Amino acid sequence: MEDLRINSVERKEKVTIIVNGKEVIAYIGETLLAALIASGYKQLKKSPVLKENRGGLCGMGVCYECLVTIDGEKNVRACMEDVRAGMEIGIEE
Amino acid sequence: MKNKKYDIVIIGSGFAGIAAANMLVGKSLSILMIDENFHVGGQLLRKIPLELGINKKYKPDYVKKIGNAFINNLKRDDIEILNNTSVIGIYDNNEILVEIEKKRVASIHYEVILFTTGARERYLPFKGWTLPGVFSAGMSQVLMKSSGVLPARDVVVGGSGLFLFSAAYEFLKNGAKVRSVLESTGISGKMKMLPVLLHNFSKIMEGVRYIGKIGSSGVPIRFNTRIIEARGNGSLEEIIIGKTDRNGKIITGKEKIIKIGGFAYSYGFVPNIELPNLAGCKVSYKKELGGWVVDVNENMETSISGVFCAGEVTGVGGALKSVNEGETASISILERFDKNGSLHGKKKQLLKDRKHHLNFAKYFNSLYGIRDEEISEIPDDTIICRCEDVKMGDIREAISNGFISPGALKTSVRAGMGNCQGRTCGPIIYDLLGAVSGIEGRNFTLFSNRPPLKPVKIGSLINRS
Repeated sequence: MEDLRINSVERKEKVTIIVNGKEVIAYIGETLLAALIASGYKQLKKSPVLKENRGGLCGMGVCYECLVTIDGEKNVRACMEDVRAGMEIGIEE
Repeated sequence: MKNKKYDIVIIGSGFAGIAAANMLVGKSLSILMIDENFHVGGQLLRKIPLELGINKKYKPDYVKKIGNAFINNLKRDDIEILNNTSVIGIYDNNEILVEIEKKRVASIHYEVILFTTGARERYLPFKGWTLPGVFSAGMSQVLMKSSGVLPARDVVVGGSGLFLFSAAYEFLKNGAKVRSVLESTGISGKMKMLPVLLHNFSKIMEGVRYIGKIGSSGVPIRFNTRIIEARGNGSLEEIIIGKTDRNGKIITGKEKIIKIGGFAYSYGFVPNIELPNLAGCKVSYKKELGGWVVDVNENMETSISGVFCAGEVTGVGGALKSVNEGETASISILERFDKNGSLHGKKKQLLKDRKHHLNFAKYFNSLYGIRDEEISEIPDDTIICRCEDVKMGDIREAISNGFISPGALKTSVRAGMGNCQGRTCGPIIYDLLGAVSGIEGRNFTLFSNRPPLKPVKIGSLINRS
C-alpha cells in the first residue's frame, strides 16, 4: 500500500498500531486520522441509515465522520486522538 | 485544574484567545484557558508537534510569526491551560461543564468568560460529496501541517475563496500533484477587491505568493467552474466538473470528467456560535461577516454582561482581526476588574484598526461564498445531513409541506439531530431555507443548542468532580 507521508518531515518514533487485526506502521505525534489515511484507510465508518462508506471530512473534530473503535471503545473521532503504540483500531466494514 | 472558580475563563486558544491571554496575564487574576485540541494555537498555527519530529520546510509567514510569538511569550505561570477539553454546557449561574481528556466531567465557575471559538468550514453539498476521498480544504491543511501526511497524492481543489489557493499551495509544497483549482465565481469580482486590500498589505502578499506559486507550477486555475458530482466505487475515483454562468448555474453540455484520488474543497467559513448561543448571547445574520455571528459592542461584550466574544465568532475576517479583537476584549475585561492601567490609548488605536479589518471582512465575504442559485440546483438524491442520511429531496418535500424553520425541519426529517449536532448541515439548511423557501433576511430561529454540546461519555459523567 502506498505511504502518503511527506518526506520533508523527519519523524522520530515509529510504532505499530493494529487496524482490523492487521499491523500498520504509524508515528508518535501523528493524529490517528492522519496515520490511517497515510496507510490508505480512506473509509472509516458506515453512515447510520444508508450504510454508505464515510471518511474524514473536517479533520478538526466537528463532523464526526471519522468515527472508529479504539481499544474497544466505539465512536471515537480519529482526528482528535493521537497515535499510541499498540492501539487497536476497528473500522466498520 | 487547581480551582473551582476563575476570574476569567477563555474558551479557545487560536489567534484571538492567545492574544487575549497575553494581555490578561501578570495582573494577579486567575485565568483558565480551555481548548478541545491537544495543542494551543487553533487552526491557523498548526505545525508538526515536537514529539512527531521536525519539518525541514516549515517557514511561518508574517502573520504566523505573530501568532507563534504569542504562544512562546505566554507566561505559563500566570494562566492554566486545559487542552483536550470540550465545553459541554453553560449555565445561568456563571458555570460551565467541561469534559477533560475524554475521561471526566468538571464544573467550573467564572466571573468573566471570553469565547474565542473561531470558525469552521462552510459546505455546498454536491452529488457524491460523502464519498471517502472528498474532504475539506481545512482537513488537507490539518493533515499536512500537523501530521505531515498528504490526504491524497493527486488532487483537485475547488469551491470559492482565497483559502482554495492556500490549500493548493500547501499541496504543491509537499509534493502532491494538483490537477486543477476550481473557483466557482468569476475573476472580475476579484479586481473590485484591490482598493480594500491596500489596507491589508500582508494579506495581499500572502495571496500573491500562493497564486504565484500555483501559476508558475502550471496548475490551471479555472474560474466560473465547479464540481457537479464525485463518483467512485466505495471511495473517490473521478469527478465531473462544469462551467457556470454569472449566477453560478451550471451551463449544460460543457461537463468534463477528471480521474482523481482526492477532492479538497472549501466555501469559506462559518463562525462557531454554538456556545455563546447556548449562553443566551444575541446572534444575528450578517451575510457580509460570514453568516450568523454573535453581536458585540465596542468592548467586545455580548448582549450578556460579563460574556465577551472575539475573533471569527463575531465575523469571519482572518487572523489579524482576531488578534485585534482578542486584545480589545482583554482591555475591556481588565477595565471591569479595574486593572486596565495605561491601556486606554491602546484600546482607542485597536478600535480604529478594527474598522479596517471589518471593511476587509465585508468585501471579502461579499465576493466569495455560496449563491442561492447554486443551492437551488442541488439534486434531490444529494445528502444534506450526513449524520442522519437526510437527502435534499426529503428537505424539499418537508419545506413544501410547510416545515419552513430549522427547528421544524429538524423534527420532521431529523436533519441536524446526529452526532455533529447540526454543525455541518446547519449552515447549509439556513442557506437552503433562504434559497428554496424564499425566506428573506433569514428571519427564523436557528437550531437550538442544548447541553451536551458535544457527545459526552457516560463514564465521564460518572467521574464528575
